[in-house]
Amino acid sequence: MENTHSSDANHLSIKQYLKIGALLTIITIVELIASYVALGALLVPILLILSAIKFVIVVAYFMHLRFEHRLLSQIFTFAFVLALCILLALVALFIYDPSISNR
Amino acid sequence: MSEQAHSVTGIDSRKLLMWIFLASDCLFFGALISTYMIFKGNINNPPYPTDRIVNGEFFHGLLNIPLTSASTFVLLMSSVAMVLAVYGAQNNNLKMMKGWLISTIGLGIFFLLFQVYEFRHFLHEGLGISTNQFGASFYLMTGFHGVHVGIGVIILISLLFGTFRRNSLGPDTGFHIETAGLYWHFVDIVWIVIFTLVYLMPY
Repeated sequence: MENTHSSDANHLSIKQYLKIGALLTIITIVELIASYVALGALLVPILLILSAIKFVIVVAYFMHLRFEHRLLSQIFTFAFVLALCILLALVALFIYDPSISNR
Repeated sequence: MSEQAHSVTGIDSRKLLMWIFLASDCLFFGALISTYMIFKGNINNPPYPTDRIVNGEFFHGLLNIPLTSASTFVLLMSSVAMVLAVYGAQNNNLKMMKGWLISTIGLGIFFLLFQVYEFRHFLHEGLGISTNQFGASFYLMTGFHGVHVGIGVIILISLLFGTFRRNSLGPDTGFHIETAGLYWHFVDIVWIVIFTLVYLMPY
């Protein structure tokens, strides 16, 4: 059987991992600054986009999902999208009828 | 690596199992974060997560964003340390693997200490798990995340002891470190979401 798992593979170099770490730190600092600056309606989308970028970077490069079998990406993406739908559905439900949470 | 460890897809069964577990954990944390988001806007009595004026009275928010930013940075750096430990294990560099594994464990414990400090501070400010909706959902969500970090630290310590006992890399050590790394990075991405939605979001 063909060995397709990637335990022995070097996906990135040490320098590249450190660069990714620095990028994640910079994004976190930008998030922190954004939360203190009066950005009005732009704040929420900016924070969500920055958070999504960090999330994707860690999953793709630290968890090596970018280099793994497609099935693993599909399993994780399906569960993540489902969790996101649950979050959006529940929040929408309770915002639509706030009295539900006060019962 | 044993042939039996591979599934019909060609993916190692143990790795497949870890990804399925992480996928199920996504739903678990999704539900906990949803609960917090719902209750955040419907808190009946103080203390509140953010500064709030209720009936003309001002209440200071409990969430300490600078402190949590520091703990977020610590967890992010632990992910960098973890990926370097995996790199060391996959390149038969025992010294590198041990060094970064110890760093990951240290940073993980440091993150847990941050969380203990935060919990103690909140309790001191009068926020118990049954004080209000904020307390119940906050302690449940961040507490479960902390438990995940704690379990991760225990797994990494056991792997580290294994390498110290053998003083060499076993046939599957690289794979075990990589799989433990998947779990550790998952704990990190959950915190990325919690940090943004719970601490930074104004609503």
